[in-house]
Amino acid sequence: MLRFVRRMALISCSMALLLACVGALFVAALLQRGTAAAQPAPTRIVYGLTLLPSGFDPHINASSELGIPLRSVYDTLVYRDPNTKDFVPGLAERWEISPDGLTYTFYLKQGVRFHDGEVFDAFAVAKNLDRITAPETRSQKALFLLGPFERYIVPDANTIQLVLRAPFTPLLDGLAQVYLGMASPKALAEYDRDRYQLHQVGTGPYQMVDYIPGDYMLLRRNPAYTWGPSFYQKDNPAPVEEIEFRFFTDPATRAPALESGAAQIMGEIPALDAIAIARRPDLRLVTQAIPGLPLQFLLNTTQPPLDRGEVRRALLAATDRQGIVDAVFQQFSPVAYGPLSASSPFYEPRVRDFYPYNRDQAKKVLADLNYTDTDSDGVLDLNGQPLRLTMIVPSWGNAPAVAQKIQSQWREIGVELTLKQVPNLAGLLTATKEEYHLVAFNDFGVDPSLLNRFYLSDAPNNLSRVVNTNLDQWLRRATETLDPAERAALYTQIQALIMDQGLVLPIRDYVNLNGYSTIVDGLAFDAYGWFPLLPNLRYVGSGRLGN
Amino acid sequence: MSGWVARRIVTAGLTVWVAVSLAFIVLRLLPGDAISAQLALSGATEGQIAERRAALGLDEPPLTQYLTMIGGLLQGDLGWSLVTGRPVSQMIAEQVWPTVGLAAAALMVAVLVGIGLALGAVFGGPFVRPVAALITLILMASPIYWTGTLAIYLFSVALGWLPSAGSITDVRAWVLPVAVLGLSVAGGLSRVIGSELTHLRGADFVCTAYAKGLPRRVVAVRHVLRAGLGGAVTLITLQAGYLLGGAVVTETLFVRRGLGGVLLGAVNTQDYPVIQGLVVFNAIVYSVVTTFGDLVGAAIDPRLREPQA
Repeated sequence: MLRFVRRMALISCSMALLLACVGALFVAALLQRGTAAAQPAPTRIVYGLTLLPSGFDPHINASSELGIPLRSVYDTLVYRDPNTKDFVPGLAERWEISPDGLTYTFYLKQGVRFHDGEVFDAFAVAKNLDRITAPETRSQKALFLLGPFERYIVPDANTIQLVLRAPFTPLLDGLAQVYLGMASPKALAEYDRDRYQLHQVGTGPYQMVDYIPGDYMLLRRNPAYTWGPSFYQKDNPAPVEEIEFRFFTDPATRAPALESGAAQIMGEIPALDAIAIARRPDLRLVTQAIPGLPLQFLLNTTQPPLDRGEVRRALLAATDRQGIVDAVFQQFSPVAYGPLSASSPFYEPRVRDFYPYNRDQAKKVLADLNYTDTDSDGVLDLNGQPLRLTMIVPSWGNAPAVAQKIQSQWREIGVELTLKQVPNLAGLLTATKEEYHLVAFNDFGVDPSLLNRFYLSDAPNNLSRVVNTNLDQWLRRATETLDPAERAALYTQIQALIMDQGLVLPIRDYVNLNGYSTIVDGLAFDAYGWFPLLPNLRYVGSGRLGN
Repeated sequence: MSGWVARRIVTAGLTVWVAVSLAFIVLRLLPGDAISAQLALSGATEGQIAERRAALGLDEPPLTQYLTMIGGLLQGDLGWSLVTGRPVSQMIAEQVWPTVGLAAAALMVAVLVGIGLALGAVFGGPFVRPVAALITLILMASPIYWTGTLAIYLFSVALGWLPSAGSITDVRAWVLPVAVLGLSVAGGLSRVIGSELTHLRGADFVCTAYAKGLPRRVVAVRHVLRAGLGGAVTLITLQAGYLLGGAVVTETLFVRRGLGGVLLGAVNTQDYPVIQGLVVFNAIVYSVVTTFGDLVGAAIDPRLREPQA
């Protein structure tokens, strides 16, 4: 017995010793890193990200979040001007598009070097295209931005031609996005598919110094950078030397982090916190419109009673959008009126004339369709069938709060709305395989060809289940023509048709509420709305920095 | 002894197998799949999505997928993430130490505070006793999310003493998360240890100790506490599982890296291999820790030892 106790004690002690050793090693490692990090770093700030992206490789992964730091690590062949949204030179100083729209020729800037010293040229672009299109890369976004890309031709070191199988007008828009950023071929060769994201090398105004997944990413200013697009400030007197990105995934943690100085810039601040931030003298608020599709509910046109256009239109008129926006988003969001947000190119302002809030009108339309509350339960009936609808509501983006408002507004005209909440995108897509009447789903981007993924009759995300040959034809033509005037005319028709048919209930245009400390100035965003122009940030100092 | 060890290893293996099989079944019962969600906003056609699923073996029958997974596990291969494409073992290894560090530090706080509160509630004076009982009650009733938010507002925003978020290399950034997580466990521990102590207070050996003329402090710590701790050790090791779960919330709240972020991301993107990998990891940790707890418990309290063959 005694022997057993001794043995137990021995085992316990040795395990405890082992644990203590591991702990000590861990602490030692921490302290070592702590002293390394304690070296005085000139002008360093913390930038709060709001999502923990599953991956940070722009060629592979698809999240918007990755672009917030990486937009400044990479350059793209072309850029979009943040204000006009026109294409401006990036790594290509000029480009030509063949009249048939099948060949894009890019003349590259010379003297551009990657952060690792490698020269940027047409062969580097070719290596990037090879990587993005390789099946083993399993690209989640970049590959699809290239559309019907067939092959490239390198006539000389400073020229590259992209050849398409079919005309694809949104190609330049794709090439302006960080997902098609140009990475150093040397770094791509040195690290395999999975490890490159930890050692990314571009030509941009900031270089990646360190990236610990889930913890932080550190960028340092690239002093050699002179080849930036026109809207990058060339002679910034006080650029921020180092920017550390951290992940504030819980919305409730974002405002406290700004207020306590744990972060100096923070995106996606909840609306109520934004009001408090705007009032503080040491913090500022930037509301940034995000082009693309608004927060919207697509109406399933194949599911009775929404197969009747009159019912859909009555529901749109019965929705007090301003009331919803005021209650859920405070004063920060513009009300959305059409399938594109007002900050998108080719936005048609006349969509505002559709469906002004008019509850009595909605009631009258439903009454004219013989909807009456025959059993006095507060819900309208037609042929004994109550007017009950199901709405698929994602758990993110304030959709649940918006859905509840719609539910109570529609109850007043005798429509019963059941909310079906889904936890993630996979759940949402599965829910749309069953019966539903409305579903919240949207996307961001500058080029209105986004609409193709939602309204083409064979689009995977055609959740309003619309089949309209005019719409199909116009949407397809708008992504083939190079004539901006023709595109504008087509998108005007498209937006009018979508609203006239009542395919979508738009609620609000997305805005990103960014808070920042007054120790920095000049926070502005690119054409896509999500990505900050980091080289234009100025370090003013004398604020509350860290604890 | 060797028989005992063998039995423990078999039990641990069974635990891991049951846990991972349950995870496999439950994950397949959940609607949706990672790939169609991943490519939903990419502009990919249905055909391209199907191609991608096939490339990752997701179009195989569930039994084949299950056998592939078990085969991999037996070779120590946790598989590859569907979303990042990186080895699951690497993703876990990258994030494991911050979480283990947080859980271990919190456990220490929990044990110290829990025992202190239990002693106070049972052997304290007329003033200490109700206060200790009240604190125990409050700690038990407060969810981490609430205490954590409160702590951030008080110590980071209002007083500015401690950072609400920071690098794990910054010692000050450990204080709030460790305290919040540790205290949330301390309440439960205090309650259980306290009831054990109350139970023992009237035991014969305690009367004997008092009769010898030992002061109350000595009786409480050296006799009653030691006798009561044997059972408490088992409970403490059971908290390891809770701590790993609680660490997810704490990590999110205090913006720390760790397994919490990996788990949340994997759940949101239905990244089966990563979730399965984490289940296997947790099951192994649980088995190891409870075994260790049994050993320690037996060393402290002879009554917990198995009869020798």
